[in-house]
Amino acid sequence: MLKITDLHASVDGTEILKGLNLEIRAGEVHAIMGPNGSGKSTLAQVLAGRDSYEVTSGSVEYKGLDLLALAPEARAREGVFLAFQYPVEIPGVNNVYMLKAALNAMRKHRDEPELDSYAFMKLIREKMKLMQMDASFLNRGVNEGFSGGEKKRNEILQMAVLEPTLALLDETDSGLDIDALKVVAEGVNSLRSPERAIVMVTHYQRLLDYIVPDQVHVLSGGRIVKSGDRTLALELEERGYDWLAEAVGA
Amino acid sequence: MNAALESLRGQFARRGGALPGNASIGEKRKRAFEEFIARGLPTTAEEDWKYTSLAALEEQSLALPEAVDVATAMAAVERYAVEGLDGPRLVFVNGELIPPACQLDGIEGLEMTSLGYALEQGPGAETLDQVVDIDRYRFARLNTALFIDGAHLRVARDTVIEKPVYLLFITLGDDTPRLIQPRVLIEAERGAKMTVIEHFCGEGPAALVNTVTEVLAQPASELTHYRIQEQADTHTHIASLNARVARDARVVCHNIDFGGALVRNDVHARLVESGAHVELNGLYFTTGRGHVDNHTRIDHLAAHTTSREDYRGVLDGRSRAVFNGRVLVAEDAQKIEAHQSNNNLLLSRDCEIDTKPELEIYADDVICSHGATVGQLDETALFYLRSRGLDAETARGLLTFAFAEAVIMRLGIEALQSRLSRTVIGRLPDSDRLREFT
Ligand SMILES: Nc1ncnc2c1ncn2[C@@H]1O[C@H](COP(=O)(O)OP(=O)(O)OP(=O)(O)O)[C@@H](O)[C@H]1O
Ligand SMILES: [Mg+2]
Repeated sequence: MLKITDLHASVDGTEILKGLNLEIRAGEVHAIMGPNGSGKSTLAQVLAGRDSYEVTSGSVEYKGLDLLALAPEARAREGVFLAFQYPVEIPGVNNVYMLKAALNAMRKHRDEPELDSYAFMKLIREKMKLMQMDASFLNRGVNEGFSGGEKKRNEILQMAVLEPTLALLDETDSGLDIDALKVVAEGVNSLRSPERAIVMVTHYQRLLDYIVPDQVHVLSGGRIVKSGDRTLALELEERGYDWLAEAVGA
Repeated sequence: MNAALESLRGQFARRGGALPGNASIGEKRKRAFEEFIARGLPTTAEEDWKYTSLAALEEQSLALPEAVDVATAMAAVERYAVEGLDGPRLVFVNGELIPPACQLDGIEGLEMTSLGYALEQGPGAETLDQVVDIDRYRFARLNTALFIDGAHLRVARDTVIEKPVYLLFITLGDDTPRLIQPRVLIEAERGAKMTVIEHFCGEGPAALVNTVTEVLAQPASELTHYRIQEQADTHTHIASLNARVARDARVVCHNIDFGGALVRNDVHARLVESGAHVELNGLYFTTGRGHVDNHTRIDHLAAHTTSREDYRGVLDGRSRAVFNGRVLVAEDAQKIEAHQSNNNLLLSRDCEIDTKPELEIYADDVICSHGATVGQLDETALFYLRSRGLDAETARGLLTFAFAEAVIMRLGIEALQSRLSRTVIGRLPDSDRLREFT
């Protein structure tokens, strides 16, 4: 489903991704771990189409499409979803309306009829129940005044409504209490299916107890330096990242 | 002498004697007119008018308005009146009171008459020119010399008027540029509370609306004032709001400018006793070749006075806006607090904003802050919305709307909010989609 080949990306002239390779098949869940500043969020944002990052070389194939050639909204409509590490507060733009506009943009793209307010509210109430979110969030501005954990939940709520084909979750577990973590994990697990793929950036092996990955990768110095199954995460928890840097000579 | 002054001279000679007011008012008018003519129109050589040129106005030959027939007037009221305001109302078309459009049912404690009537009766004259700094605001002099009518409002001691008082001023331009000069006098007596909306709209060829409002906020009174300006893009609009705020009184002013070819809007608030508070909210949305100049002055003349000011602008096309916010803190005015901000969003490359705070502080124990921004939309927010599938144009429209909406939300009168929100949306690209957001 997703094939990243020799990806180089820089921001303000500094190269962050330095020849990154990664392949993800439909139905799989991958976890990406790695030290602070290694380029995990950069990778996620580049895949979602943030134009402040410049892709200098390499390619990304997604469902047979040249992903890098698409505008962010076109990627979203093709089923790419990024749960932000730092969700943006947009006062004055209503949470529900934003989500309704988003969903209808996707439906329109797929030649499905747009949902009217009634049908949409029914859908969102269902999803909010799943996320155990209070109805009062609906009428607030996008993430406006939300606590850190509430913002993360709101990202997963959006994901649950939009039902992406490729979900990129950038540290969605950070800042969540243990109950919220379970709720979020449930939300993610309910999305798991043979047609979808999920990439989770995380610092904590704990998340992987709830969402069991097929593969774990270590991103360091702008490259994937090691891949393995979920036992790699346990090993990282015990040993940190230094031994890898030495092994790779990075 | 330029065409404008020449024409005004002729008008004053012909009609000055027949304007409302007793002999002493007549004297006042005469003096004001002579002083106005002696100083002439402001030019860009003056600091206060540096960015706003009246060159086009100088060429216009102005005339006082003629009466508009009632049917035409009533049809205009139908077009422009804000729906859902069902309180006391005075309506003027081309400066003249339209009685059948007014709502004057007696409200206990509210004295509300046309200014013309008040002058005939006598008492209204007392506050005329008492608040406005006539030496500074030259156009106020012109107003005093030649105003025909306006509103006189007084709320009695400790009285709360729940429904907003709605003053609607409609300007219908015709082939001759008309000089329309509303004059509004507002007094809130000790402990009184009220809301006044001044709404300016209109259509047709060039006209000059020159309006002056004087506000006396007596101790512990509360006044909320709205000036909503939606005139045609052929009209010149010059306004000054002058307030004297006494001990523990609160004056909140909202200034919305969505129309006009050339707009100059002065606000002058004097906080004369301790505990006085003033709040200024502004929003201007300029398009085409529109020009909106906001000049505000807040004088902290006593200790323990507070002010808060937040103006926002959205500029598009080849339009231009000016913001000049002056705050003066007098020598003995200790323990005052003054906050000011002016934020602007530029939607096109060809628009221009000049923004300048001016702090003049002679006391040492004060808290003052000011900040101005000029910029484009927040790139991160834009990306966030696009990453959710919204197209770039809708995302931009939404963020622009949200920026303006922050001021509109503060208005606190739903009938006004929904009307102004609709106007903002109508000016943005992809407005059909945006309509779903309100
Ligand atoms: N505008 C910029 N100019 C220069 N360097 C930048 C800029 N933006 C980000 N960086 C750098 O890029 C590197 C990668 O950042 P990124 O956010 O991708 O890291 P990360 O792996 O997600 O880290 P974390 O685990 O802390 O979230 C960091 O060293 C960061 O300082
Ligand atoms: Mg990160």
